[in-house]
Amino acid sequence: MQDSTIENKDSVKTDVIDEAVERGLERLTPERIAGVINQVLAKETGARFKTYIDTCMRCGLCADACSFFLSNDRDPKFSPAAKVKQTLTEMLEKRGNVSKDFLKNMVRIAHTECNVCKRCSMYCPFGIDIAYMMLTVRRICHKLEITPLYIQDTVNSHSATMNQMWVKEDEWIDTLQWQEEDAREEFEDLRIPLDKDGADIMYSVIAPEPKFQAGLIYQTAVIMHAAGVNWTMPSNPGWDNSNMAMFTGDFEISGRLAKAHYEAAADLHVNRIVMGECGHAFRSVYDVGNRWAGWRMPPIELVHAIDFFHELLTTGRIKVKEKYKKSVTLHDPCNVSRGRGLHDKAREVVNLLCDNFIEMTPNKEHNFCCGAGGGVINCGPPYKTTRMINNRVKKEQLEQTGAEVLIAPCHNCHSGLEDITHHYGVDMEIKFFGDIIYEVMEKTIYQGGV
Amino acid sequence: MNDKNANGRNAWDWQTEKKQIPVKEWESQFNWVEEPHVSPDGEQVASIVNSDEAEFSICVNGDVWEDTFEKAWSLKFSPDGRLAVLAANDEEWTVCIDGTEWESRFDYIWGMTFSSDGSYLGAAIQQDGEYGVVVNDEPWESLYENMNHFTLSEQGGSAAVVQVSSMSQGDIDGFAGGLFSLAVNGEPMPQTFMNIWDPAFDSQGKHLAFTIRKNRSDYSIFQVDTAWDQTFQSAWKPAFIENDTSLVAPVRTGGKWYLYKNARPFWSNVYEQLWQIAVHQEKKSIAAIVSDSYGKWTVSQDDRPWTNHADQMITDLSFSEQGDTLCALFKTNGAWTVVANDKPWDLGADKLWKPAMDATGEIVAARFEKQGRYHLAVNGRVAPGDYDMLFDPEISPDGTKILIKSITGGIYSRQVLSVDGLI
Repeated sequence: MQDSTIENKDSVKTDVIDEAVERGLERLTPERIAGVINQVLAKETGARFKTYIDTCMRCGLCADACSFFLSNDRDPKFSPAAKVKQTLTEMLEKRGNVSKDFLKNMVRIAHTECNVCKRCSMYCPFGIDIAYMMLTVRRICHKLEITPLYIQDTVNSHSATMNQMWVKEDEWIDTLQWQEEDAREEFEDLRIPLDKDGADIMYSVIAPEPKFQAGLIYQTAVIMHAAGVNWTMPSNPGWDNSNMAMFTGDFEISGRLAKAHYEAAADLHVNRIVMGECGHAFRSVYDVGNRWAGWRMPPIELVHAIDFFHELLTTGRIKVKEKYKKSVTLHDPCNVSRGRGLHDKAREVVNLLCDNFIEMTPNKEHNFCCGAGGGVINCGPPYKTTRMINNRVKKEQLEQTGAEVLIAPCHNCHSGLEDITHHYGVDMEIKFFGDIIYEVMEKTIYQGGV
Repeated sequence: MNDKNANGRNAWDWQTEKKQIPVKEWESQFNWVEEPHVSPDGEQVASIVNSDEAEFSICVNGDVWEDTFEKAWSLKFSPDGRLAVLAANDEEWTVCIDGTEWESRFDYIWGMTFSSDGSYLGAAIQQDGEYGVVVNDEPWESLYENMNHFTLSEQGGSAAVVQVSSMSQGDIDGFAGGLFSLAVNGEPMPQTFMNIWDPAFDSQGKHLAFTIRKNRSDYSIFQVDTAWDQTFQSAWKPAFIENDTSLVAPVRTGGKWYLYKNARPFWSNVYEQLWQIAVHQEKKSIAAIVSDSYGKWTVSQDDRPWTNHADQMITDLSFSEQGDTLCALFKTNGAWTVVANDKPWDLGADKLWKPAMDATGEIVAARFEKQGRYHLAVNGRVAPGDYDMLFDPEISPDGTKILIKSITGGIYSRQVLSVDGLI
């Protein structure tokens, strides 16, 4: 482990220049600012919002739950309640008549100093959902068109292409065929079945997989083939389950994405959707985008990769040739642990795969966010230095495990944790469950019938 | 509406009781055999087959096409019974129909689509990093740096959302200024928008309508040659009605969904959600999938919601040819069923496909899967027998017979049964 004294070499920057925010602020008039704020607060919120605002008594119990507060030497302004006070409370008190400097500060707080991870809600005696409050602030930012540049560009991609990385339609299909061809080195009859009508499972991923990490699709194809799964992937838009619009308050695009995802599955007549190792994407189609569209719950059964791998391993569809030897620890992605309760199953999967599991503290639903979640990492390079400072508590948590390998079953977490290990010099390899399964599995085809 | 006679249904063999083809045998002849596809008349069953590394062909009724391909995917029968596949050799892609390749070659091709009579085949193409459409081997003359939402009219017209101006990475102001237009038969409309979705042709293939986003918060509808003045919180795919002179579209305002006609409120009911419009021009009837209370779904026909609801999902809303029957697939508690004219069947299906209907709508037949076995249901009754796999049923033009195409025990069967014997 590296000397942790390097952690304080930077200080949190409050004067970050984000072109999109700056240009957006220039265009605003006092009337527009007040109009949008009052419209969102009066027309788009309801009893829940009012109850939260009226109930919070600033007890401070949420503060110790927040990794930003802890990472910034317990600076009170980073406590969740203070973030609400610095944003929503002031907008309410001033009836929307706030300055551009206030808005700039608000963008920074809502978009980069809160992971909307919901950890604080677990410690609030009233269960106030601060994430909902911060997402309401982001909704105001969206309507005022002062969303940070990088994440707005991602949402633009979502809206134009139905995927978050401007992956063109042919690039998606070509990538699948390329991975299929490569994976035939291992199983000569392996397929990534495209548009297979009536398959049991539609497998969906987030756009960084075809864009940068096509090897993950290869690994999944090998796992699916060995497990004898009747699966397919759609060639049409709807294959990307990610949703940054959910985090910018662009609920309309968020709902449109969830609709495309479920329609792709319905068109293929699958029984269920299995999604890759991504947390925010799960939240998007399980909890957020679907509900905006009018589906109280997912209209087609939705299974996160943790759940699916658990099923494959416990039913013997995937057999472990030899358990993974390096010491491993597990990061619990907020959206599938606090959001879905998959933390116990995740541990069962770890223990089925690995010999030496070292628990992280705190863990399970109490685990800290990776620091990248909630769209924070997607706000991009202008905020990276500050993000690293805000991730100090996570870095300490990782170091304390002494594990060689960190399993993070979520793309956002992966990226954020890689930034932490690089920035702080933590000597820890980061892997997905899929990486480990691919490494330890027997490369034989399950014969137990479909 | 499909012209079923144009698809040759009258000329089909509706007399033979059973024809069989042993498809399982193919597996011993090839490295692998991909999922089978069956022609509408049931006379042909075909699969992509692999014989060697990068050596694919098509096996039809046990006979293999002469040509082999390094790559092949998207095998489909057209409605008029032609067999088409997207195939590549030497990294050049084309369409191969019944064993004959198109002359055009592309760097990539996908999204193969047929007009409902099968006479037009269109697909999206990429050539030298630019995008366009090809219809019946005639590619667009102009190509674009990005393209989505390709659609094909019944008359062979093509349209797609195209990016008409370049944008540097992260240029969100450029994006907001409107980079996208709709190209019709390759030529872009003069109007550009921040987003364009869901282009829809009228029934004559002369006019188009689509959903637009004017800025981050304002959505609207583009009708023929102009955008509606009104803006909305969101909008879904519009549909032409009344012999294509009018347009209806679902729009969201004040957090609720409305059906608008020609930019004015049309239906008086307000919905939690409203999408997937079905229109019967002659009957002047409009239907849509709606949520009339949050999390509860039903069908609204001419603004009258059905009494039956689904708590999960409704799909495949469609009218019979003469417009007397309106069908949809309802999913509740994980089980699918058909609901026809607000009357639910008792299927409890795990998977269910869009029903076939005769012209009058009196005969409705659907295939479904339950606990891993396929079944046929006709007018709500489950027909005797089950199958390893069942393909879409076809109803004879006179409505007296049903063509059943199935695979069981590795044998493909084409069987014509009397409707009377099934209901």
